[in-house]
Amino acid sequence: MNMIGNLNWKKIIFRWEMALIFILVMEIIIFGSINPRFLKLPVLLGSINDYISICIIALFGTIVMITGGIDISGGAIVGLTSMVLGLLWQDAGLNIWVAVILCLLTGVLCGALNGFLISYVGVQAMVVTLGGMFLYSGLAVVLSTLSVSSAYEGISGFPQAFIRIAGGKVFGFIPNPFIIFLILVVIAYVLLHKSRFGRYVFLVGVNPNAADFSGINHRFVSMFTYMLSGLSASVAGVVLTSYLGSCRADLGNELTMPIVTAVVLGGTAITGGRGSIIGTALAAIVIGLLRFGLQMSGVSTQYLDIPVGLLLIVAVAARGASLYMKRPSFAAKKQKAV
Amino acid sequence: MNRIVRAITQTRELFTVAFLIILFLGTGIVNPSFLAPDNILLCLNGSVIYILLAIGVSFVITTGDIDVSVGATLGLTAAVCATMIRDGSSLIMASITALTIGALIGLVNGLGVTKLRIPAIIMTLGVNGLVRGSIYVYTEGKWVENLPAVFKSYGQITLAGFVNLFLLITVLIVIGVYLYLNKGKKGKYFAAIGDNMGGATLIGIPVDKTRILAFVLCGVFAALAGIIFASKIGFVTPTAGNGYEMKAIAACVLGGVSLTGGVGSVIGAMFGAIIMSSISRILVFLQFSSNWDDTITGILLIIIVVADALIQKHFKEKARRERLAARDLKALRAFEEMGGDAE
Repeated sequence: MNMIGNLNWKKIIFRWEMALIFILVMEIIIFGSINPRFLKLPVLLGSINDYISICIIALFGTIVMITGGIDISGGAIVGLTSMVLGLLWQDAGLNIWVAVILCLLTGVLCGALNGFLISYVGVQAMVVTLGGMFLYSGLAVVLSTLSVSSAYEGISGFPQAFIRIAGGKVFGFIPNPFIIFLILVVIAYVLLHKSRFGRYVFLVGVNPNAADFSGINHRFVSMFTYMLSGLSASVAGVVLTSYLGSCRADLGNELTMPIVTAVVLGGTAITGGRGSIIGTALAAIVIGLLRFGLQMSGVSTQYLDIPVGLLLIVAVAARGASLYMKRPSFAAKKQKAV
Repeated sequence: MNRIVRAITQTRELFTVAFLIILFLGTGIVNPSFLAPDNILLCLNGSVIYILLAIGVSFVITTGDIDVSVGATLGLTAAVCATMIRDGSSLIMASITALTIGALIGLVNGLGVTKLRIPAIIMTLGVNGLVRGSIYVYTEGKWVENLPAVFKSYGQITLAGFVNLFLLITVLIVIGVYLYLNKGKKGKYFAAIGDNMGGATLIGIPVDKTRILAFVLCGVFAALAGIIFASKIGFVTPTAGNGYEMKAIAACVLGGVSLTGGVGSVIGAMFGAIIMSSISRILVFLQFSSNWDDTITGILLIIIVVADALIQKHFKEKARRERLAARDLKALRAFEEMGGDAE
């Protein structure tokens, strides 16, 4: 009995999420000591505006990766939905909220196209979303030329109510994007870890054939994950457009790599079948705070790829090593049980 | 006719070549000046950098891994090579340095993937960030300009009046790599590992060494592309090569190199790269805005892979049915013989 309690305690301490929390605390301590302004709550909370889109898309990208797929078209969908939003509002003269809803639908459609080609036609996920990435970012550029505003300036002058989506604050100090992020974390958590759909997602990731034989429509499950991912990208597009106050075709061009980084750093196996929403959420914040903190410490933005790249390699190598070390003990335990 | 159709659908490179020819002829029908020899040569010259990148990446993809760091490698090696030449180094020294850097980046990728067991996409993604950051550190965020005119003029050298020097080098490399992969002693190792890594280990192929070699070759080819990039463009920005990694992978996919590994050839990758880089020129000749560039690339990529998947599915299904039918026939014969005996 005592041993089991011991094991659980060990399990909690040595979870990957704990390592991420440790990194997070270290970041706050280090950057706080370099620049005390970093520790002010409004600054710390407000920093999420800089990386909210990475956080949002990574959450649902995790679900895609757990089914054994990958979605690298998220960044492109951000740019596309931003352009669709601007065009519908300014050039088609629609109500801004109708435009937002149509915009979210666009994201779902993009995801559905990806998902259909991947799960029903049977093309590799990486290939389809690579094509999707070119297609959606290309469409965004084409749309930007249709607008009466010049492509370089982008469309701006949105109504205040829309700007408040990302610009507003709850209780005067919590920025809205932070609340949006928390809500999405809860939704994604319940969807993946507490619902039947989530179980199916894991099963499809572990063994699609087994999922098929147990009567699960594994094709639809995997297609649905891409639709969710597309939807999340369009949500990120709306939030980012609202935050910047203007829509541009190239909003999400640099997002692809950070998103994959966040998902993988969060402990999701690239081969599928393993991963958690909390891990991804923490990892996205770790990366975001790292970039933000380095900027506040006076490091130029252009150098930020180096620490993020290093963090990714070191973290994944360490995690791989720890999982590798665990194997013999696992075998021993199994033997004991027999 | 039937045989030709079957050859085209079963040999993936022929499928790509046929697609390329249709694309060029189609454009030629709308605008005949596209098919002028000068223009076709310009198309080919323009694709040299993509071809080199795609060859390198195809090594890695054939072994079942992936490399998304080639864009950054191209940028860094171009910057290093250009800076050295601007500061008075000889071309040979600069090239050797650039190629060494490319090989080292590849070596780091390969060691991380094979020894540390980091999945290839993650390892190369991380290295991509590292290398891209180093470009800024190396160039201090400035453009590398004022290259000597001699260095920039290499791109204009033509042999026999029409063959560009870079194009000639590239074609020779493609032929060399093709011979190495198909006739060389160890050339088949790459595809064998990509097809079945466990099996390759069991029959004694040095799996880890070959995978590392694939990454190193990929880095070297990216560096070569970087040198040519510096010479052709004439200046190097810190963002040089941004996004080229995705285009190189797309070129491989267009050329029939399967991302699951084991399937594909350099010839296919070359034609894929030519399609990739010709799209913008084709759009100009069709009097389309070049804004459609990425859209068309995406649509072509999706059409080609979907067509490929459907064709493969069809043939698999056909083969399965033939196999089943043959088995049924065999069983029927056996049954008749048995029936005969019983009577």
